[in-house]
Amino acid sequence: MDEYSVGVLTNIGLFSFLALSAYLLLIAGEMSFGQQAFFGVGAYTGGVLTAIYGVPLPLAALAAMASGALVAVLVGLPTLRLRGLYFAMATLAAAEMARILFEVLHFQHEIGGELVGPDGTQGFRGIRWVFERGVEPLEYLAIIYGLLFTVLLAFLLVERSHLGATLRSVGADPELAASLGVDVNRLKLGVAAAAGALAALGGVLYAHHNTYIEPRNFDIMLGVHSLAYALIGGLGTAFGPLLGVLVDLGLLEGTRVFQGYRMILFGGLVAVLLVFRPRGLLDERVVHWIRDRAFKRA
Amino acid sequence: MKVLLLGLLGLAAVPAAAQAIRAELDCKFSGTDFVYDCVVRLARGGVPLAGVELSIGADMPSMPMAHNIKPVKAKPGKKPGDYEARLDLEMAGEWAVKLRLSGPVRDQLVLHYEFDDKGVRPAVRRSGTSPRK
Repeated sequence: MDEYSVGVLTNIGLFSFLALSAYLLLIAGEMSFGQQAFFGVGAYTGGVLTAIYGVPLPLAALAAMASGALVAVLVGLPTLRLRGLYFAMATLAAAEMARILFEVLHFQHEIGGELVGPDGTQGFRGIRWVFERGVEPLEYLAIIYGLLFTVLLAFLLVERSHLGATLRSVGADPELAASLGVDVNRLKLGVAAAAGALAALGGVLYAHHNTYIEPRNFDIMLGVHSLAYALIGGLGTAFGPLLGVLVDLGLLEGTRVFQGYRMILFGGLVAVLLVFRPRGLLDERVVHWIRDRAFKRA
Repeated sequence: MKVLLLGLLGLAAVPAAAQAIRAELDCKFSGTDFVYDCVVRLARGGVPLAGVELSIGADMPSMPMAHNIKPVKAKPGKKPGDYEARLDLEMAGEWAVKLRLSGPVRDQLVLHYEFDDKGVRPAVRRSGTSPRK
């Protein structure tokens, strides 16, 4: 596989973590414009741990996920009281606060004669754990997809469980779910923490793929894209967000002939889909139809 | 997976620190919108670094995984340590130029440059200093 194909597949894999993170909140009935903040928290936490303290990447990834979950809980505690547009705006504001915090974060240590660590707006260079251990791009791609497959499997198991049904009932009608004894606030806080951890996992993998991160990597554009992937792909199944990432990056890569104008295509696609398929390509109706056909044939 | 398992057990060896490779980029506007003819100068410890296989990509920092260019292979330039490539950037502005070195030397460097119709210059951030290379 050539360098370009590996690069595109790596990006699809990394974006998928963020898209699944947005999807998890969407099926619980909340639209977050701030998942990029947890992606950033994961990237910075993992980067600091491996580049400055020499912590092995798997342990750094676990710590990054824990920090992503913790920050998501801290953001969720005040914001999950809000509903709809107000929650969306609050998550956007929280994400911008996180990005500005990254801009003032200076934490550098001298390692091998070079200053390594976050340096505010100058970014964070030297996240080279993966690179220095000789992990080839194709091997790293396999690691990313191995983790993505594990996450997807967990999603599919949860969706078929009582917890999955409860989650969708909260997303559809929180008042009705509460009247049936569901602790809606606690469930949503748990969902926010899981979504934060998932975004942070994507972030730590991204930081080690790129070897360099900076605050602007985690701005509103990334949040909009992650949400759009879930909405384009559909909210009927966890395969939806992955389909969304594939459709978008496939379109972006396939329309390079239009140069910078191809971004307009992405915006137009989201707008058209939101009008005609508000719950995405693989919405609940399509998923049920596919399942019915599959079971009838079986 | 072997690397991950070793790392999880804390057994992964920490590589010895080697002298860092430095890179500089010099580009000229080709006359076609957003297309630049670039020369990358690679050096280690002040000595030009020749004989390297170099591939050059670029990302826009605000949309790193989606707004990027297809990596191009650079050809050896006129002087030792120089490598030439044509970059088609799609739009002007700041780009994070990614240099991937392979062959006898393996490394990855990210440089930040501002591209416009006058050419290219190191990107200046709000703190008022140029990024380190």
